[in-house]
Amino acid sequence: MGSVEHLGRGAGRISGDLGDLVPSPRPRARPAKRDRTQTVVRGFGEALITLGMVVLLFVVYEVYVTDLISAGKQREAAAELDDRWSDPTIGGGERQDHYGDFAEGQGFAKMYVPKFGADFHFTVVEGTTAASLEIGPGHYTDTAYPGEPGNFSVAGHRVGKGAPFNDINLIESCDAIVVETRFSWFTYRMVPLEEEKAGWAEGKGKDPRCEGVAPLGGAYEGLVGQRIVLPTNGGVIAPVPGNPEASPSAGEMAAMMTLTTCHPRFSDKERLIVHAVLTEELDKDPNKPDLRPAALEETG
Amino acid sequence: MYSWIWRHLPGPIAVRVALAVVLAAGVIALLLFVVFPWLEPLLPFNNVTTE
Repeated sequence: MGSVEHLGRGAGRISGDLGDLVPSPRPRARPAKRDRTQTVVRGFGEALITLGMVVLLFVVYEVYVTDLISAGKQREAAAELDDRWSDPTIGGGERQDHYGDFAEGQGFAKMYVPKFGADFHFTVVEGTTAASLEIGPGHYTDTAYPGEPGNFSVAGHRVGKGAPFNDINLIESCDAIVVETRFSWFTYRMVPLEEEKAGWAEGKGKDPRCEGVAPLGGAYEGLVGQRIVLPTNGGVIAPVPGNPEASPSAGEMAAMMTLTTCHPRFSDKERLIVHAVLTEELDKDPNKPDLRPAALEETG
Repeated sequence: MYSWIWRHLPGPIAVRVALAVVLAAGVIALLLFVVFPWLEPLLPFNNVTTE
């Protein structure tokens, strides 16, 4: 017995752990200090495991739970917007969009990217605060409104919170981004990428969808459809994207649309930017509620 | 930590299990609806605007 006892403390420890079950007085004779060390080490281990679980839970929250929360808010914003649009007492009798008096977080337009399927549509809200972007894509308050000359700029989440702009890197030149306001439809199309610019007229520009998307000149020289910039590059939402100093006269000012989101996914190191130009404008007709821009059918 | 909580839960084993589940659910709800929404804007994950 004595030699077995001598074999190692481990053997004694095991019976010590089972102390409640094994009626052996021997392990209890161990110093109390040992138990405290054990408790501390175990507590530390449990704390680490718990921390790991919390981090995992945070990932689940970020990627899935925020989606659910945002989907509810987006539904509410869309319903509120539909109510407002169908209320003839708002905005008087004239069929003209009035912008500018929207509250932060209030929906005022809907955007569609037909390429992402007929069910890809989001209500665009005013403002780009965290609370607004939780509802849906948010309009930079200082930028133009849909259809206006200037740069209608919209920010959207790429991960969680509904992730409206998850796939905007897949938008190609000439792909449509359709914006619906109360009285109009505006079709924007992504402008050429840098490598497509040379030989545009003979190349991709021949596609009938690309009408009106040719590379722009003048102050818009250097504008490309998609790029990745640093977060400090606020010029991308300037009236002339990427050229904040330019101030073209009203006639030369194009109607642009800009989308911004984070890049790469799960990081805020950079921003992914998509620029599009207005190619078609369609007034809604109360007598023809089914009148919609043809671009909406370009699903794929 | 967990064994301490377990030892301090009252009642027979079924009640203890139920209490433990309720406790865990409470902690998860607290994390999901209070702690994470507060924490999230402080982390560099999801800023989508330019300055």
